[in-house]
Amino acid sequence: MTMFHFFNCAILTFGPHAVYYSATPLSEYDTLGTSVKAALVYLGTALVKLVCLATFLKVSENDGFDPYQELLKAVIGFIDVAGLYFALTQLTHRNISQNHKFQAVGLGWAFADSVLHRLAPLWVGARGLEFTWDFILQGLEANANLVLSISLAALGSLMWLRKNKPKTLIPIIYACAGIVATMPSITRSVLTFSIHGRLCNEY
Amino acid sequence: MANSKKPGGLREMLESMYSVIALLFILVACVELCDAAAAVDVYRLIQYDMSGSPFGSRFAALNHHAASLHFPPGVDLSRTVLIIPLRELNITFVREYINQKKPLGGLLVLLPEVLSFKTGGNNQVHEKEKMKNLLAELERLLIHSNIPYPVYFAFENDEIDTVLADIKKNDLMGQPATATTGGYKFVIPTAEPKKVASPTMTNIQGWLSGLKTDGDANQLPTIAIVASYDTFGAAPALSVGSDSNGSGIVALLEISRLFSLLYSNPKTRGRYNLLFGLTSGGPYNYNGTQKWLRSFDQRLRESIDYAICLNSIGSWDNELWIHVSKPPENAYIKQIFEGLSNVAEELDLKVGLKHKKINISNPRVAWEHEQFSRLRVTAATLSELSVTPELLESTGGLFDTRQYVNETAIVRGVKLVAESLARHIYGHQGKNIQIFADESSLAVNPAYIRSWLDVLSQTPRVAPFLSKDDPFVMALKKELAGHVDEVNVQHETLEGIFTFYDSTSARLNIYQVASVTFDLLLLLVLGSYLIVLFSFLVITTRGLDDLISLFRRPPSRKLKTA
Repeated sequence: MTMFHFFNCAILTFGPHAVYYSATPLSEYDTLGTSVKAALVYLGTALVKLVCLATFLKVSENDGFDPYQELLKAVIGFIDVAGLYFALTQLTHRNISQNHKFQAVGLGWAFADSVLHRLAPLWVGARGLEFTWDFILQGLEANANLVLSISLAALGSLMWLRKNKPKTLIPIIYACAGIVATMPSITRSVLTFSIHGRLCNEY
Repeated sequence: MANSKKPGGLREMLESMYSVIALLFILVACVELCDAAAAVDVYRLIQYDMSGSPFGSRFAALNHHAASLHFPPGVDLSRTVLIIPLRELNITFVREYINQKKPLGGLLVLLPEVLSFKTGGNNQVHEKEKMKNLLAELERLLIHSNIPYPVYFAFENDEIDTVLADIKKNDLMGQPATATTGGYKFVIPTAEPKKVASPTMTNIQGWLSGLKTDGDANQLPTIAIVASYDTFGAAPALSVGSDSNGSGIVALLEISRLFSLLYSNPKTRGRYNLLFGLTSGGPYNYNGTQKWLRSFDQRLRESIDYAICLNSIGSWDNELWIHVSKPPENAYIKQIFEGLSNVAEELDLKVGLKHKKINISNPRVAWEHEQFSRLRVTAATLSELSVTPELLESTGGLFDTRQYVNETAIVRGVKLVAESLARHIYGHQGKNIQIFADESSLAVNPAYIRSWLDVLSQTPRVAPFLSKDDPFVMALKKELAGHVDEVNVQHETLEGIFTFYDSTSARLNIYQVASVTFDLLLLLVLGSYLIVLFSFLVITTRGLDDLISLFRRPPSRKLKTA
């Protein structure tokens, strides 16, 4: 039952995006065009990030935690933010309210991310006879990524599209945006430190 | 003008895009899946027909779940592969299964790694005799049964041991692997086995001419030394036949080497021609030897004084047997026997004489010398076997590996044959002269014997699977050519009552699969998750009323218009 497993993992990975689109008022206002454009912007951003990573990052021989490299990776993560800014502000959208704009952009962003990062491994791996938990974990990761992208788009729209922001909340908004943008680096460093700590405790 | 060009250009672009997308789909569909938990080399049981009756394993492809011997009793095994390591094999259990024709999906027997000629090396085998007897019995059972499911042999290694331990654990918990409970799946993707069309037997003969003086009008007498080089066993890809008849081949090559040294100098060249024969078709009633002898012309056949056939002289301690078909009172037989026993006494070993009459109407030929005797040529077979082997027995089976052969035995055998031959050729009968003494330039070379024995123990030699220009046969021919004057190769078709089928080895893929119930459960969980997500999103963004209205049909308009 290998196509069955592929089907299961596929609906876990891509289902929430479709559900989100149909459940919220996005489908009523026909914001598909916005999502598609956001997906294309994500593609461009991914290519730029790839080139930057290849140029500036050195391949380390040992699997140690190199703070300089991690910092560089976090900085390159901000290219993501730049891409999102471009998608939110520069693209000409039809008359859709700000509320729906950020949702559509976030959805398109997350969908493109899932397709680019997870479709190929899923197609190649999940159809085989051998069973592993990897693809289910990947699907859960896609779900988390959806939430992350939409929250990032929301913060972005708050920062750049709202003209009248309450003064007190501005620093909080920027801080939250910074944290969310560098979330992948934060999770990776937390994981490495916890593993390091556990290994040290064992000795 | 410009306007009409634009749509055309757009159409072309769309068409090229469609073809690119189609190509992409094709590429994507062809992605190969090679993600097995383990992949092991396996060797199939032989499949052959004898006089039309089928024997051996009749299928090659395998795609079933695996179970060990600890399966819960009463469970249906017709879609299961039984994996049995040799140390747990109970021969009565297997015999019962085969004779009562109980349904089984497949059988995989795990042999100890030490017997493998690829990885086992020269490590010593524990409990040699017990393993030899068990393997011999298993082989005899499998070769003479008609088994309607695939039977494979594999060597134990770490991967397959962990898989086996896992399978045993699952079986003991009472959950044998089936489609609904997950577990391990064994897949061997091979095509259906086909008949081997016109299998060839290749006989190699080497001729060493004797010294012909001017006074000799007739042809010089000839002495023939013959050994058959092909094997037959339960697993043809593993039938290396180190003792049967690797020891015979090695002895023949060494004897040819020694006599080529003697015959290279005209002063020491004997007045006998020497004919060396490496024949094929041994297990099949020495079919190849018969065809080889029939191809001789009458004069050559009449000039053969006698022939010595070598069969299994690699694992004896102190006693060898000379098997003859003419009665022992016959003068020629007496001469041969006395010659050999005189040398044997000096070498401190015993030779016994065994007489077995041949029945011309019986097609069964148990010893090679019988083929000579049927054409009225005096011949005898020198062997360590005292009992006449049955058909397809003692032809190099699963247990006949390098560890069961003793090279010093072969060295002594070579000395025995060479000395007795030399005494006959040079007329030293009864005199105590050692021509091939140790430490002389004509000493038997144990290193030569050892290296050829090692090569033979790594080459499976089942005749129908050796092509006409098989590299091993060519190597034998080349080696013999280095020691004799003239080498001839004769190709014959292996006709008669035997038909063979191909597909002797394959690659087994072991997958760990999840059960169907797991997939269904997962689908249920995901379905409910998506439904919950959908309802949650509708409620939070559009309100509860909208969710309920999705399930209500819109009010009928007919009422309004009416």
